[in-house]
Amino acid sequence: MEHVDELISGYALHGLDAADQRLVLEHVETCERCRVQLREMEAVAAALAFAAPQADPPPELRERLLEAIGPEVVPSTPPEAPPQPRPRWSWWPRVSAVAVPVLGLAVIALAVWNISLRGDIKDADVRSVAPIANVGSVVSFGGGQATVVGGLKPAPAGHTYEAWVIPKGETVPQAAGTFAGGNDTSFTLTRNASAGDTIVITLEPGTGGPAPKGPVVGKASI
Amino acid sequence: MTDRRPGRDPSTEHLSDHGLLALTARGDRDAFARLYDMYGGAAYALALRIVRDRELSADVVQDAFLTVWRQASTFDPARGQPSSWILTLTHHKAVDTVRREQRRRAEALDEARESVDPAPAVEQQAWQSVARDQVRSAMAKLPDPHREVLELAYFAGYSQSELAERLALPIGTVKSRTFAAMTALRELLAQSGLNPEHEWNTSTS
Repeated sequence: MEHVDELISGYALHGLDAADQRLVLEHVETCERCRVQLREMEAVAAALAFAAPQADPPPELRERLLEAIGPEVVPSTPPEAPPQPRPRWSWWPRVSAVAVPVLGLAVIALAVWNISLRGDIKDADVRSVAPIANVGSVVSFGGGQATVVGGLKPAPAGHTYEAWVIPKGETVPQAAGTFAGGNDTSFTLTRNASAGDTIVITLEPGTGGPAPKGPVVGKASI
Repeated sequence: MTDRRPGRDPSTEHLSDHGLLALTARGDRDAFARLYDMYGGAAYALALRIVRDRELSADVVQDAFLTVWRQASTFDPARGQPSSWILTLTHHKAVDTVRREQRRRAEALDEARESVDPAPAVEQQAWQSVARDQVRSAMAKLPDPHREVLELAYFAGYSQSELAERLALPIGTVKSRTFAAMTALRELLAQSGLNPEHEWNTSTS
């Protein structure tokens, strides 16, 4: 397979003619090594942007932009992916955490019963149930435990879901455990959470860590 | 660019740029505005340096960010940082503009200073001026022919075939010199502790 190393830097600088651009795009569809090279070169090109002399955008630009994206909409479901040909950068399987439909209370009750049977929770008094869009629900218990119930696709290879608690009034997320997802997720957070706290689920690379790096999959306030 | 972010939702503060982009994909205007507040200044400065017209530059930046808004849901985290995506989009649109409008190219990095009416500079975010110093000093360490090819390609928007003509070189030489220049720059940035694959406002601290 002929690699496109030399062309990749030209591509990142937007200096290639149409034929060479196509060569690069077609090649990286199937070549991991060159995809990595392209990512690195695009990062270097983006770094060059910072060498430009400082200039401040007109304040109106911000307003114009926010108006142009349309009126405020409270999303209850994620927007449809736009119908379009396969996106340019589609070589990595797209992560989309589509849950089973939001669980009815009966199903949650059953899950809670199962949890208490397993002895995962100390005080089975359910304090609240809050929906997490795309994930399911978070059930909080009298003892301060919180359990996420629902369905997430299993995290792709090399990734894990991680839960976080942002205590009420604070901003720094506290790591609350990792889990692999899959249907019938029922994961009890390793950190207590109660009314006013926010639960966030992210998709982390590797085995997760002490601070979130990956995209947010779902979030709910108890 | 002052850090003005009215109505910022404090619960997004902890989020990485990837997190902000994921929220943007769900229609979160605050997350999107936050991305603009962080990178809109750098995008505008880049566009202005290339296009050298304030209105056209504002259009370039607006187009770039609108693309981010519309295509956030198709962004694959494996392709790199959201900031790289934003600046790549900006660069591409700026270069397209300068070619389409057949504008005279500003070849020297600082040439734009003389020809564009300087507005009073508002205090820039500290991490941006640190980044600028670090990138410029890395560029200064490049051999002249390498720095030249990068400046002409990136800031003046010359295509490789235009460069071959401009520099009276075979196109093969332009390609290999570009490759060598970018590789050397990546190495120099790494030596100064800058990893462009990390988030900018933390990687320069």
